[in-house]
Amino acid sequence: MAEKRKEFWRWKEYNWHDESMNPKDADLITAGVDVGSVSSQTVIMADGQLYAYSNMRTGSDSPDSARKAMSWALEGTPLTMGDLAYTVGTGYGRVNVPFANRAITEIACHARGGNMMYGPSVRTILDMGGQDCKAILCDDRGKVTNFLMNDKCAAGTGRGMEVFADLLAVSIEEVGELSLDVEEEPPPVSSTCVVFAKSEATSLLREGWPKSKVLAAYCSAMAHRVYTLLERVGVQKEFAITGGIAKNIGVVKRLEKELGLNSLKSKYDTQIAGALGAALFAKALVEKERKQAAAQ
Amino acid sequence: MFTQFFNWYEKRHDYAREWLAKTGGEVVGCFCSYAPEELIYAAGCLPVRMLGSHEPQDVTEPHIFGMFCPFCRDVLAQGLKGRYKYMKGIMISHSCLHLRQSYTSWENHVPVDFSYYLPFPAKVQTVHARPYLKGEFAQFKEALEKWRGKLIPDDSLREAVELYNENRRLMREIYALRHAPDPPLTGLEAMVMVASSFFVDKKDHNVELKRILPELKNRKLDRNTGARLMIVGSEDDDTAFIKMVESVGATIVADDHCTGSRYFWNSTEVNGDLLQSIANRYIDRPACPSKDWEERTRFPHILKMAKDAKVDGAIIIQQKFCDPHECDIPMLRKYLEENGIPCLFLEFDVTVPLGPFRIRVEAFLEMVGEEDLF
Repeated sequence: MAEKRKEFWRWKEYNWHDESMNPKDADLITAGVDVGSVSSQTVIMADGQLYAYSNMRTGSDSPDSARKAMSWALEGTPLTMGDLAYTVGTGYGRVNVPFANRAITEIACHARGGNMMYGPSVRTILDMGGQDCKAILCDDRGKVTNFLMNDKCAAGTGRGMEVFADLLAVSIEEVGELSLDVEEEPPPVSSTCVVFAKSEATSLLREGWPKSKVLAAYCSAMAHRVYTLLERVGVQKEFAITGGIAKNIGVVKRLEKELGLNSLKSKYDTQIAGALGAALFAKALVEKERKQAAAQ
Repeated sequence: MFTQFFNWYEKRHDYAREWLAKTGGEVVGCFCSYAPEELIYAAGCLPVRMLGSHEPQDVTEPHIFGMFCPFCRDVLAQGLKGRYKYMKGIMISHSCLHLRQSYTSWENHVPVDFSYYLPFPAKVQTVHARPYLKGEFAQFKEALEKWRGKLIPDDSLREAVELYNENRRLMREIYALRHAPDPPLTGLEAMVMVASSFFVDKKDHNVELKRILPELKNRKLDRNTGARLMIVGSEDDDTAFIKMVESVGATIVADDHCTGSRYFWNSTEVNGDLLQSIANRYIDRPACPSKDWEERTRFPHILKMAKDAKVDGAIIIQQKFCDPHECDIPMLRKYLEENGIPCLFLEFDVTVPLGPFRIRVEAFLEMVGEEDLF
């Protein structure tokens, strides 16, 4: 009988809410739902303050993933869907969030969310997501002024890192740290194709490279790939990283070194940036509606 | 209102076959918008520009290197698949090597009675270009006469020039209506109107243009105009893309494409020698970047169009591997952005990935608008 295989890529799903807040006292509850290609997040805000969120894997059905992420964010809170004044859907499945009042792209949402997470001085946001990577320039309000996305290839994204975690049997959360455990930085592996990079890594393992060195070569390739994307859009200070890969210190350190620039740090979870921006837009939209109604 | 144009666009081959049966003439396929169509028309032939069909194909692999542009491969595929069996003549006015490869492969692998390579000058800005092009047009005229077995009388050529000028004038008049706050036609309709003019006898096309023009002036579309966009690039008749853009809160109100305004923008000003006047028209038309040296005349021309149409932004549509446009784009983008026109760059292939393009377009629209969310 085949041995049950451990899924090293599988990152932990979680939800959180602020126990110190009573959202029932709030005037306005808004939500953002980010259905990405790999992960889905829901953020719930009470009067513009972060109150609760969830982060889980996206399933094969976008509406279902949106519903699950929302119920999980609400779980354990006194809130129900009926309390939400406005919901904005974003991400790859943004038009498939059945209960959303409106859809806004994750590019706009990451800029807006990044503005809250890192403060108004942030000008360049790199969203390193599951299957794409976006270099976003924004102003002090978090409004996009320019952007560039990777195309035609998912190398340099979260899914690629998951493939490597599985190949090397290293838990995805430990990949970054382990990749830094090398005496000398090895040359990067192929930076244009996950599949080719994987076969390259297999032959490096056969040559006797330790896992840490192979991971260093992959993290370095990924950092270089997103570096070229950032260079094309033109990095402006301050610089911040959002999305799942922002949690991979092996990629972050190497990218900072290549850019010669440190990235801003935040108390918020980097994976909720898109949903946070969506919830902030939801607040702006409902306030706009209320103003229009009052004027009539 | 635009049904006839859509029918012609979608049933281009049926139209050509009917035209052949009706007139007894010949159809001549043209590979580039620099083809002097007036000469072909005056020889009793129907000049037809070959465009692609935007379907995935694998028939061109043995003939064209994979890093030649998708347009040149898609065009050749039409010939290799036998869709132009009724076409007896082909010609190319030289602009780029990619398209010349399509022409050469066509000549070698698709049977035709007449094929002609016209060495159009690359540097149209030199004073020598005008007499040179007149000479080349004269040789092309002779070749057509030899093939058809009869001379092209001056009167026929003059009539063809007038017919083409009328077509250009009418389409410019319709394009000007797009400057209105709520344009009476969509970018898709404008695109199909111009693209169909490549396939149809200008006599028929003019009748239809004259029919819609008065109605168009009073037409109110049941849609929000949204953001006003311009599209800029080489060949572009990707209707699926335009439909998508116009479904997410935007209207295309201007263009600089060789399947759009560059094809019909200027008229032939008959002044003295007729053949020289025709040559001058092609020298003076809004330039393709393969010919825009050393001065970049297209930049101020594009900016003026953008300002006249009050655009909120421009989408730069790049056929993958199109070298002349790739050469212009970094400077063009900088020039437009410095002049207040935000740009979105997209790289096109035979088929386009509508999902990934949609997010880029939507994010661009959010970038140029949506001020009230901040």
